[in-house]
Formats: sequence, structure tokens, C-alpha cells
Amino acid sequence: MASQAVKRTIKEVKPILSVDREEARKRVLNLYKAWYRQLPYIVKAYDIPKNVEQCRERLREEFTKHDHFPDIRVIDMLVIKGQMELKEIVNVWKQKGHVMTYFKDSLEPKPKDFLSKFLSGKE
Amino acid sequence: MLRITFTKVLNGAKLSPKHIYVATRAQSGEVKKPEKVEVFIDDKPVYVEPGTTVLQAAAMIGVEIPRFCYHERLAVAGNCRMCLVEVEKSPKPVAACAMPVMKGWRIKTDSEMTRKAREGIMEFLLVNHPLDCPICDQGGECDLQDQSMAFGSDRSRFTDIEFSGKRAVEDKDIGPLIKTIMTRCIHCTRCIRFASEVAGVDDLGTTGRGNDMQVGTYVEKLFMSELSGNIIDLCPVGALTSKPYSFTARPWEIRKVDSIDVLDAVGSNIIVSTRTGEVMRIVPRVNEEINEEWLADKSRFAYDGLKRQRLVTPMIRDCNGELKPVDWEAALLTVAKVIKNAGSQVGAIAGGLADAEVLVAVKDLLNKLGSEALCTEHTFPLDGSGTDLRSSYLLNNKIAGVEEADLVLLIGTNPRLEAPLLNSRLRKGWIHNELQVALIGPKVDLRYDYEHLGDDAKVLKEIVSGRHQFSSKLKSAKKPLIIVGSELLERADGAAVLSAVQTLAANTPSQDKDWKVLNILHKVASQVAAFDIGYTPGVDKIREGNLKALLLIGADEGAIDKSDLPQDCFVIYQGHHGDQGASIADAILPGAAYTEKQATYVNTEGRAQETLVAVTAPGRAREDWKIIRALSEIIGAKLPYDNLNEIRCRLEEVAPHLTRYGSAEEANYFKQAEQLAKKIKIQLDECTPIDVKIKELQDYFMTDAITRASPTMAKCVQAVLKQKQSKY
Repeated sequence: MASQAVKRTIKEVKPILSVDREEARKRVLNLYKAWYRQLPYIVKAYDIPKNVEQCRERLREEFTKHDHFPDIRVIDMLVIKGQMELKEIVNVWKQKGHVMTYFKDSLEPKPKDFLSKFLSGKE
Repeated sequence: MLRITFTKVLNGAKLSPKHIYVATRAQSGEVKKPEKVEVFIDDKPVYVEPGTTVLQAAAMIGVEIPRFCYHERLAVAGNCRMCLVEVEKSPKPVAACAMPVMKGWRIKTDSEMTRKAREGIMEFLLVNHPLDCPICDQGGECDLQDQSMAFGSDRSRFTDIEFSGKRAVEDKDIGPLIKTIMTRCIHCTRCIRFASEVAGVDDLGTTGRGNDMQVGTYVEKLFMSELSGNIIDLCPVGALTSKPYSFTARPWEIRKVDSIDVLDAVGSNIIVSTRTGEVMRIVPRVNEEINEEWLADKSRFAYDGLKRQRLVTPMIRDCNGELKPVDWEAALLTVAKVIKNAGSQVGAIAGGLADAEVLVAVKDLLNKLGSEALCTEHTFPLDGSGTDLRSSYLLNNKIAGVEEADLVLLIGTNPRLEAPLLNSRLRKGWIHNELQVALIGPKVDLRYDYEHLGDDAKVLKEIVSGRHQFSSKLKSAKKPLIIVGSELLERADGAAVLSAVQTLAANTPSQDKDWKVLNILHKVASQVAAFDIGYTPGVDKIREGNLKALLLIGADEGAIDKSDLPQDCFVIYQGHHGDQGASIADAILPGAAYTEKQATYVNTEGRAQETLVAVTAPGRAREDWKIIRALSEIIGAKLPYDNLNEIRCRLEEVAPHLTRYGSAEEANYFKQAEQLAKKIKIQLDECTPIDVKIKELQDYFMTDAITRASPTMAKCVQAVLKQKQSKY
């Protein structure tokens, strides 16, 4: 039993795209660059009430939000998702509202503590 | 099992329900078990006790034989013939429900002959059954419908060449609860048997023979029983359906939620059927330890009271003395300010429908504020051990245990109307177990014979001292029970009554070591939980307390009114119905009713059970404990629980049995309670006769905030009063 368990832990998992960390890092940087370069066109094409500077800030925020994943496969998956998002934007499959959801300006934060949940009728 | 009845008739005994055995119970009591016989059901061998019917033997190996008239809790009738099965080497098929098995019988439940017999029976039944399934309330849960699909012929030979139409029968009017469409009746006689055996109201019967047979009440009259709703469930077709539920919903479009009934202290298990955010109907759920598969009428039909007179928004009394709707924030701020100013001069009264969660939350809050004025609306003696020892306020021997008793002494209670399902157990014992019943209190109709010992308190004293003729009976009984009504203990001399009863119970021997003689029967659902949590019974503390703020948690029985309180006392009512309590309140916090919250209730035998959310509370009403939790935060004495799990943990800290759902926690320390009771100084008041509030059926229907708001219950009262004036 015990040897089986050990075997299972050291068993290699199938990579999604990257075989090592370095490769994953490269993919992330490439995605970042692609987004970064696309930003001015996004601002123009979608006519959003944000300037390029703000969009860059938001882009950086989005990437740093996910900077703590140790698993390469998770990073790869996020990169794939990011590419899909970018493709949707470049091909104008999205609309203005979809792009603006990245900023969530009009979204009110959900009540977290008991009392505010009670008063807002959530509890 | 018919044989037993038959031999008794031959021996000259009169044929009464008392002699009709229910087959399943027959074996349990026998001491010497005779040898088992082997029979073969579809070639599978099974060993059964002699006297078992073919149908029961088949059920043992999981073969269900179709039936209409047979019901395991009723006597065998054997008149529908649907359960015909083939027995090898027998020329005719036999009725499985009535035929006891013989050694070596080979029973075929799916042979050609059996199937043909069923098909034939189905055809005969359908010849005279209307084709109105699309407009029938039973449609979708109809035994006839299901079985005609499963066992009936796939085409009809019914052509009606004379154009005479099918048999038609006039509908009966048997009250505001049960709708009858007698043309649909297939004469299974389940309703008749239920009425005479379980309910004890021998009003239903048959007239005519053959094609002209009719089930009815002979003369037009109300079916006057507190268990009448059960014949709706029993009816295998749509002949008897629920009047309030008629044409409102279909079984396949309703959502069913398991819950607990709280309109009496029995805690019957129920299924709440809901659709479009409304409770459509309530039907019983099987629980052998509590309600078997029956349900009392109040629990079944009072649900329309949940839609009326509801408190839907917080309210504050303005300077003109009128209650004005406000939002939660304003209401909580006002109430919190008052409670904060009151300091420790704040009290609470818990009514009969309060759940354990809110009881604990209120107690925690008030204790945090330095107050101990937490009371229940219904009082209980505090002298002696009071509510410290659980054995002195529980139905210790359990509801199911009542069946085994051979002598029951009822003191100051009317179980038929205070706990109808306990009474049905008593009646069951009386029929099948030679149970003898005696009653001290007003002479009420229990639907079985009992020895009336008078309503004098002196009788109780005489029995305790052993001078009464009944004492010797009590001493010689093998399994005696004493059931005391909680109402009797609410008297001024309640402590003396309790002490007397405890002494009597201690001096009454029983053969079984685990048998508990002393039993208290409560009337409201919240009482046992409130005592377990540590509420003080009775509102005396509130009267003396000189309070500045009083919190009523669904207290609607008028135990306290404005004149009992200081002029400047601010009354806060938290509950779900605008009743007595809300009318005297300065602020109203709308809570949820029992179908709208997941809450804990403890029944009179000490069994914790939980209700589940069937519908959401109307308007701005919230779950009760959450209101208290929110209030506590604004007051500044924040309670340490935010969700149901956390408050359940707190419940467990206070009393661990409150979260052990479904099991009844045993009580003990009977001896110690009795010794403490000896110190009670109060004398038994012999001048006041022992009385009960609910004496007759018309008093039964409207007893709490929910039932008082229910139009169906009001109709029931009217119907009973009208029937009382009728010459029948």
C-alpha cells in the first residue's frame, strides 16, 4: 500500500503546454505583451470611457492577481483562457459592455457581515 | 386473521371493533412462538409465522400484491378482490389479504390466472367508475389510476349500448374538510373501517347491496372527528378529497418538503406541499414513534391561516398611537435604543410557537444585558424540583409506549383534543390490548369507554393516599400510566398537584423496569424546548419585574396585558401573526412561521425535531433568531453566531439533545424529583374542580395565532356548532 502511495505522488502528470516553469513564464510574458500592444486599439475600437493608461493598470492588476500559482498546468490553463479573451476582443465578438465588466464600476460590493446582510435582505 | 374474529362470533362474543385484530400486531404480544411454516412465493421459499396472510408473506420477500381495500393499520375487509393470487393446486384464485398461508403453499403472484383475475377485477371496477381523471383531484396519486395502468386491460369492452350511462351516486356533505364525489367510490370501505376503528366515530357505513351499494353517513351529517382528514389519504380513489385543496394543484407540480407540525405538542411529522411560493396542502409523513401515518385535522387544514393576518413589515407605534410600517433599519434602531436604555430591566415571554433557536438567542441576549426575566407564556409549577429535572415535565413513557399500557389514568386532560394522535394510540390500546382508561376531570368524549372518577381534586388525594377504590387497580396493573395535562399544573395549586402525582407514580409499581409511570402532556410545541433551555415558566416574573422593555416572542395567549406592566414599559412583539400580542405592542418585528424556517422543536416526549423551509417568509419577515442576532449587534451586545450551524452549536452547548434530531432524550431522576416534591408546602385546593379548557370538538379548532387566522378552521367551528343543533 505504502509503496503504491509513494508511486502515485511521484507519478508525472501530463503537461498541458509547458514542460517546465521557464516555458510557462515565457508564455505568460508573451500573452502580456500581446494584450499590452492591443490596448490602444481596444480603447479606440470599443470607445470605452477609459484611457490606455488606466487599461494598462487594469491589465497588470489582472496578471498579478494570478501570480501565486505554483502548478504549471494551472498557469497554462490561465494563459489559454487569456488568449481566448483576447481573441474575442480582437475579433469584436465582445461588445462595449463586456469590455467594461473588467472595470466593474457600477457593481456594488456584496454585503459581508451579518448585519448588512440582514438589512439588505440577504440573510 | 379473519378466523379469529370468526371463532369469537361462533363463541357468542359480540362482534365489535375490539375483537377485530390488526394482523401485524397480533404476533408481537405472544409469549410462546409457534413453529414457522414454509411457503413459496413465486418459487422463492419464505418462513412465516402461522396465521400470516398471503399478502404479508409476499411483502416479506418484497413482492407487492396490488390491493385497494387492504390497509395494514385497519382490519381486513377482503372485499375489493384486487389481491387475488393463484395458489398451486387450488381451483380458484384466493384473496391474498384475508387468506392465512398454509404449509407448503406455492403462491404465484404473476401467473396467467393471477393476471387474468386482476384484469377482470379492474374491468369490473372501471365499468362503474367515471372517466374524470383529468378533473379529479386524486389524478396523479390515485391507486386506481396507477393499478389500471399496471394490471388493467389495454382496451375497453364497455360500450354502453343502451346509453344508460354509468352508475351515478349522489354526493354527500360530510363537512367543510372533506369533499365527496361518491360516483368515484369503489367500495373499499377503508374510510368506514378507519372511522370505526381509529377515529371511533361510527358514522360511516354502507347502504344497499350489489350495484346499489353506497358508502355514506345514512343521514346527512357532519363527520365529527378530529382525525377526519385521514380518510382523504386512505381513499384509494378520488371519492374523498380535501375540500380546501380542491382544484388548486396537481401532485406532479408541487414541491414536497419534510417538516414538523407545531400546532400541538405531539410534533407530528408532515410533508408540506408547496407551489408558487404558497403552502398548498399538508399531509402526514410516516413516523411509527409519533404519528404512525395519521394527522390531526388542525395540523392538516390550518395552513390557510399562514396566508392571513400575517405581519409582513416591521412596525413602530407613532405618536398618535397607530402602528406605522417602517423599514428594518429604523425598527431595529428604535428597539435597540429602548432596550439599551432599559439596561437590565428587560424581559421576554416565549409563546407556544417559538422555536429553540430563537429561545436560545433571546436568552443569550437578555443574559448578556444582565436580565434573567425570561418566561414562557404557559406556566408550570416551580416548587420542588420545578423544571430542573426533565422527568417532571416530559411524557416520559413516549407516545408509542402508550399502546403497551394496560391501565391509564388521565388527570386533568382531554387527550382527544389536546393531542389527537396520542388519543388514537390510547384507543388502539383499548381495542387491541385490553387497555383500561380512567379519567379525573370533566366528563369529556374520548371515543372509548373509560371510568370517570369525577372532577373533584379530592379524588386525586384519595388515590394518592390509597383510600380510593381505584388505587388497588393501579397497584395491580402490570403497565400503568399516569398522564397529567399541563393545564392542570397551571392552576395556583399546580405544585401540589404535581407533587401528588409524583408521589402516586413513585408508589405505583410496574413490571417493566424501564416503564415510566409519570407522564406530562403539554399543549404547545415550544414548552419542552423552553424548559430545556432554562426559561422560567409563567409570567409572574414579568409582572413583578418593573420592566422598561418587554419582548414577546409569539406570545399571543394574553397571559399578560398592558395593565400588568408599568406605564412606560415598551412592548416589542416578534412573531408572524397579527394577534393578541401584536395589538398591545409598541414595535413589531415580523418573524417566520414554522413552514418558513429551519428550526428546532422539542415535542412533549422530549424528542427534538426540525422543520425545514418550504416557502419563504412573506414581505420583509425574517427568521426569528436572525432578528435577535441583528438586534444584538445594534444594541452592542453582539451574539457570537452568524449562521444556522453556529447557532446549532450554541444549542448543543446549552442542551446537547436539542440537535439530536429524531431521537427522544430519556429523562431520569424520578426519585429525586419526588423527594424534592415532598417539600412543597402548597396544599391541594379541594374546592376547585379539575377542569380542561378544550372540552368539545368546537373548542379544538382555534387555539393559537395560526388557527385563529384560518378560514377553514372557522368553518369547522361553525359546522360543528350547526351539527350540535341538528337532531342527528
